[in-house]
Amino acid sequence: MLENASKNLEYCRYCLMCRHVAPVGIVSYNETLTPHGVALVAESVKRGLVEWNRESVDVIFSEVDGGNSRMHCVNHVPFEDAVAAVRAQLTEQQLAPAIVYQLEEQMRIWGSPYAQMSAVEDQQGDVAVFVSDEALHFGHTVVDAVKTLLSAAGIEAVTIGHQSNGFLASSLGLVEVAKQQAALLLEQLKASGARQLMVLTPGDYYTLTQLYPERLGVVLPDDVEVVDLTTLLAQHVTDGTMRLNKLETEVAYAYVDPTHAVRVPQRFDAPRTLLRALLSDEARELFWRRERAHPVGSTGLLFTQPDLAEKLTRARLEDAKQRGAHVTVTQDPATAGQLNRFSADYGIEVKGLYELLSDNLAS
Amino acid sequence: MQGLQPEMVRSELEEVVGIDYISTREMDKLVYSTDWFWLPQMWLDRGERLRTPDYIVHPGTPEEVSEILKIANSYRIPVIPWGGGSGSQGGALPIYGGILLDTKRLNKIIDIDTKSLTVTAQAGINGAQLEMAVNEHDLMMPHYPASANCATLGGYLAPRGTGTISNKYGKAEDLVLSMEVVLPDGNIIRTPHIPQHAAGPSFYPLFLGSEGTLGVITEATMQLDYLPEARLLRALLFDSLSDALEAGRQIMTRRLDPFVIRLYDERSTKTRVKRILGYDLDGAYMVIGFDGDPDIAALQEQKALDICNQFAFKDLGREPGESWWEHRYDFYYPPKNLKLPWMYGTTETVTTYSNIERVYYAEKQAVEETYADWDVDFIGHFSHWFHWGVMVYSRFIIQSPPEDAQEAIRLHNRVWNTAMQAVLENGGMVNEHHGVGLKLSRYMRRQHGSAWDFMESIKEAVDPNGIMNPGKVGFGYK
Repeated sequence: MLENASKNLEYCRYCLMCRHVAPVGIVSYNETLTPHGVALVAESVKRGLVEWNRESVDVIFSEVDGGNSRMHCVNHVPFEDAVAAVRAQLTEQQLAPAIVYQLEEQMRIWGSPYAQMSAVEDQQGDVAVFVSDEALHFGHTVVDAVKTLLSAAGIEAVTIGHQSNGFLASSLGLVEVAKQQAALLLEQLKASGARQLMVLTPGDYYTLTQLYPERLGVVLPDDVEVVDLTTLLAQHVTDGTMRLNKLETEVAYAYVDPTHAVRVPQRFDAPRTLLRALLSDEARELFWRRERAHPVGSTGLLFTQPDLAEKLTRARLEDAKQRGAHVTVTQDPATAGQLNRFSADYGIEVKGLYELLSDNLAS
Repeated sequence: MQGLQPEMVRSELEEVVGIDYISTREMDKLVYSTDWFWLPQMWLDRGERLRTPDYIVHPGTPEEVSEILKIANSYRIPVIPWGGGSGSQGGALPIYGGILLDTKRLNKIIDIDTKSLTVTAQAGINGAQLEMAVNEHDLMMPHYPASANCATLGGYLAPRGTGTISNKYGKAEDLVLSMEVVLPDGNIIRTPHIPQHAAGPSFYPLFLGSEGTLGVITEATMQLDYLPEARLLRALLFDSLSDALEAGRQIMTRRLDPFVIRLYDERSTKTRVKRILGYDLDGAYMVIGFDGDPDIAALQEQKALDICNQFAFKDLGREPGESWWEHRYDFYYPPKNLKLPWMYGTTETVTTYSNIERVYYAEKQAVEETYADWDVDFIGHFSHWFHWGVMVYSRFIIQSPPEDAQEAIRLHNRVWNTAMQAVLENGGMVNEHHGVGLKLSRYMRRQHGSAWDFMESIKEAVDPNGIMNPGKVGFGYK
C-alpha cells in the first residue's frame, strides 16, 4: 500500500491538474495545501530535504479526503488514498497529531469519535439500513424519518450499524481500527440476514463499496446489494409509488451535495429529483455542485484542522448565499450538522432531506 | 533570514495583509521554491535545496499589492509575483529570495457582460474556475492551455500564453480588452477600457510578456465567445510531414478558421501518440477541428479535406480526433508525461511558413548530432497556426542524464544553447507562448538585438530599484 502511495505521490508531486477543484487549496489560497504541495512535502522527506516534524506532519493531515482530486485527475491517480497511506505510516510511527491518538482511543471504546452509541438490537430481515454514528450524533430525527419513508415505500427494514463506518479511521491512518469497524459491520449484516443494505449518504456508499476493498481489503458478500436510499426514493417518486405534497413556500432552497458526493456520481440526480417533487420552484444550484461538489469539512479535517474545516463550511454557506438561497438541504447528517454550526451567520436554515420528505409525504 | 531587519519587514507585511496571509513556514518556503521548470524540479528530485522566498504573502486587494511593493521598494527587496506556479520557464522562481506575492486571493469575478461578451475578473482567479463561471452563461473563455486547471488569469497574460484553440480565437493577449496593473512604485493604473482606439500609443501590451518584471497585473477584462454549438474533430495521417505542413498552411491562409490543427512529426506520432492514444501509426498524425454553427463547421471541414486531397494522406475519421481532444492533456501529466529522472525541455519556436521547415530541421539536426552520445530523442508537433506562420513545439528527451545535479544542469543548458543557436540562426523566435522566465533570459539580447537597450531603458524607468522579479526576462538583478 505504501509503495503504491509513494508511486502515486511521485506523480502528484509536480502535477497541478486537480488544483481547480482541490477544496483546501482553494479556501486556504496556499500552494502547500494543494495536492501538489502535500505530495511535494511527503516526497521531500524521502530525499532528505524535509524531516517529519510538527509542521510537515500538519501538512499531511491538512488535506481533505473527499475524492475531488481523484475524480478530476487527468489520469485517475488515487491521491487521497496515497495520503491516507502516508498518514497510516505516520500514525504507526507515533508521529501523527495527538488528536489522532485520542480519536483512536475513542473509536476503539465507543465505535465512534463522538460518544458511546446505543447498541444495535438483534433483528433479521431482507433489508437492512446502515445507520452511522454520524446519523445518530448529528441527525436526531433522521432515523425516524427514514423509517417513515421506507414504510411509505412498502419496505420493511432493520437497522444495523450505530457505529462509524470506518471511513474516519481509515482517513486518519488508523487502519486497524477501520478494519475492526468494517468487520463489525459485516458481522451485523450477516446476523441480520439482509440481502439489501441501504445507505443514507454518498459517504456510506463510497466507504462500503469502494474504500473497503481498495483501502482495507474488505469485501461485502457477493449476494448483498448496497442501495443508495436517495436513489431508491427518487425512483419511487418518479414512478408514482410515493407521492409528496408540494411545499407552500416562496423561500429559495439550494441543494448541497454532501461530503463524498463526487465519489458517487451516479447519484447526483436523485436528490434533485426529490426536491423538484417537493418545491414549486427549482432548487438553486451551488457553484460547487455535482462532479465538482466540495466537502464541508465534516470528517477528518474537523478534528485535525478545525480552522480549515470551518473555512470549507463557510465557503459552502457563502456559495449558497451568493445563489440567493435561504434554505439548504442535504441528506448527510454530518454535512447538515457542520453547516448548522455557522448557518446563522449567513441567514440560512439547514434542513435534512429525509426529514423534509418524511414531513411532506402525501397521505 | 533571521534578525531584526527581517522581523521588521515581516511586521510591516503582516500589517498590510494580516497575520493569516503571510508565511515564513519552512514547508511553504519549500513548496514555493519551485515552479514547473525542469531545472528546479530536478534539483529537488536529486535532494538539493533551492533558494526559497523569505516571505510568502497573499494580498486580497490591489491596494494591498500596492502597499507590499512600497515596502519592497523601501527595503530594496525582490518581489516575485506568483499565479498558479505552472510556468515551465522558471519565471516564478525566487532566485534571489525576497517576497513571493501569491495572487490567488485576488479571485473575484467582477462582471460578466453577456451582451458585449466580456468578463472582468481579478487576475488571481483560477483559469478553470473562470471557465466554469462563464460556462454558466453559455459562454467560454477561448483560451484553453494545458495548464488551465492550475494557471491563473494573470498567469495567462504575463507570459503571453497560447491555448489549444488559438488558431481561431487567438492567444491570451489577443483576448485582453483592458487591465489593472500595480506598478513597482505602488501606483495602481488602469489601461483604457477597450484596446482598439487611436487615443495615443497603446501601452498595455508592455505588461503582456513582462512576467511580473514591470508590475503586477491585478485585474483584466477578457473577450469571451459563445460555447460552440458543434465541435467537429477528425484525424488525418499524412505520408510526409512537409505535405502536412503545406496542407495546414493552405487551410490557414485560405481562412477556413479551424479552431485546432495539431500536427505531430513522424517521431512524435510513433512515440507520444502511440503512448497516449494507443495508435501505432507511421507518418505525420494531424488532428483538425472546426467549431461553431454545425453547418458552417461541416462546410469548413469539407473544404479543408479538399485541400488535403492534393496530398498523400489517410482520413482516420472522427474517433481518433475526438479521442485526442478528450486526452489532449494526458500528454503533459502523470503518469504518461515526460518526467524525472529524464531530462527534457520544450523549445517552442515560431516563425513564418517560409522558414518553418528550415528552423525545425536545423534545430533537430543540431540537437540530434551534438548529443548523439546521450541518445537524445527529438520530437515535435506543430500546434499554433497563424495566417503567416506556425509554432513548432519541439522537445528533447534524454532518458539517462547525469546523476550529479550540477552535471545535469550543465548538460541541460548546453542542449538549450545548441537548440536556441539553431533557431535564432534560421529565423525562429526563442519561444511562442511559454514565456522567458529564467530559462530563456540569457537569449533576450541576442533575440532582440539593438531593441534590447530600449527594453532595458523601459525597465529602468518603471522599476528603478529593480525589485520586480529580478533575473527574469533578460533583466538582471541590482
